Amino acid sequence: MKPFKLKLIYPKWQKLRGQTTFNLPPHGPVAFAATLPEWVEVSFTDENVEEIDFDEECDGVALSMMLSTQVKRGWEIADEYHKRGKLVSAGGISTMLHAEDMVKHVDSVFLGESEGRMEEVMQDWVNGKLRKFYNYMGNLPPIESVGPCRRDLYKRELYNHKGVQMVDLFHASRGCRFSCYPCAVSYLGGRKFRPRPIDKVVEDMAAIENNRLFIVDNSLAQNKEWEKELFTAIAPLKKKWISHTIEDDPEVLDLAAKAGAWYVYQAVYDTSDYIKERVRRYHDYGIGVEGTILLGLDNQTEDDIKRLIDFLGEIDLDLAEFTVMTPFPHTKGYDDLLRQGRIFDFDWNHYNAGQVVFQPKHMSPERLQELYDYAWKSFYADESQEQKMFRLFCNVALREMNEGTYRPRDRRLANKSFGKDVVRNIKTTKS
Amino acid sequence: MKVSPDYYDEIFEFQGEWDMPSACGLKIRTVDGRTYVIVTELYQDNPGTSVTYAGQRLAEQICEAKGLNLGDIVYVECNPDTNSKLSFYDEEYFVVDFGSDPQHRYRQMDRDEIMKLLGK
Repeated sequence: MKPFKLKLIYPKWQKLRGQTTFNLPPHGPVAFAATLPEWVEVSFTDENVEEIDFDEECDGVALSMMLSTQVKRGWEIADEYHKRGKLVSAGGISTMLHAEDMVKHVDSVFLGESEGRMEEVMQDWVNGKLRKFYNYMGNLPPIESVGPCRRDLYKRELYNHKGVQMVDLFHASRGCRFSCYPCAVSYLGGRKFRPRPIDKVVEDMAAIENNRLFIVDNSLAQNKEWEKELFTAIAPLKKKWISHTIEDDPEVLDLAAKAGAWYVYQAVYDTSDYIKERVRRYHDYGIGVEGTILLGLDNQTEDDIKRLIDFLGEIDLDLAEFTVMTPFPHTKGYDDLLRQGRIFDFDWNHYNAGQVVFQPKHMSPERLQELYDYAWKSFYADESQEQKMFRLFCNVALREMNEGTYRPRDRRLANKSFGKDVVRNIKTTKS
Repeated sequence: MKVSPDYYDEIFEFQGEWDMPSACGLKIRTVDGRTYVIVTELYQDNPGTSVTYAGQRLAEQICEAKGLNLGDIVYVECNPDTNSKLSFYDEEYFVVDFGSDPQHRYRQMDRDEIMKLLGK
């Protein structure tokens, strides 16, 4: 069969102002690429780290999008390819969240998870019968069918900062049994926790040419027995990894630490002793903590937010990430704020979790925006985000050295940052 | 977040956005000669589209299944209390006016209206 040349694109988005930008190798496109039939040849461009060559020869274009802030750029890219007579298909998280809009701009929209579906889609495409919709939202594939990603598609040197390779993203499960206020994961991946078989996880993880990973699962704390089995099984791989919340249980935390837990994202939603103790317990096991702080919830007044920011100084967080409440479609937050007529901005480029797009309950949108800026400045006033990250990096490097898994940074890329030359601001003094 | 069965008389299965299999709680009440259709979000027991996102599509499916006319009913969305630590998960009822506006209009019902509606 004649190969079908598919141009796979991950659109760029505007990064949040004032924050350190790190480009991680995206997971969605390579997970999707792994589900394509063998006769499809893929050429991948992550527009965040390289330009798109719109004139590169291809038989069709696939857009893979995760963030709402990629959606409108995806439409622009589709327009460019339409001028060249190419059909464009779209899939991924933000395609599912914004499908009604997406369908007006691309030729085919894929909804759901792609495992076991792509032979049909690509056959349709080759036969000139590509459908407007492929809807598998209510028909999720067996979790056992999730296989290794096509990480060979990455241009590794583009995910490197001054010789240091960025973490690889990894999925050990899909779906979520929680329905958290601002989150759409349960809508996207199902309202049930779908853990991957442990042997598949280990096999997949072992094959990754990177000792540092980010296990991007929504929350690992959904099935304690699976979690314990997972940590026990991956410990011999000696990888170091970042993840979201881990079960607050001494045995689980101990196993996580032994399995290479580097640091976790932990929601800090109030100033309680529980949060303080939660952070301390992670640290007791040598696991770092990046606090994730969501601002603008209906139970937060200005004073509450200021107290929360002050509280962060008391709990010894290694890093903090602040976001403003953003009503992403298919979340409870969206439903509530829509019913109350409080969403005033539907420009998806503004749905970056750093820009206020709704009317907060206890303050003006402008005031919430100010508090968001204040939170970032306040937390990183004494030590910058980059300096704090460097400290976490040193921690992991030391652990790796002790275990004999440390890989020195790539000196050839010491003057490059995500494919671009590093501009050094060296001050010279005149004598 | 399990929703108490007190909120509904039956589970109504419907086709959500992109025909996703979805479910909501349903109560139908007649008060002062008017038919009130009360749909309740089930969160973890709803595998698909939320009642708010489904909006008029859900109302139409209920009317068809129950032999009602959309123009004759009062359509109410219930946001059930799930005993969450987050206060904004408290119980709320909204009357929905689908009208001709693509953005539906919602009016939050006060406590007296809700008590009367539920016969408490």
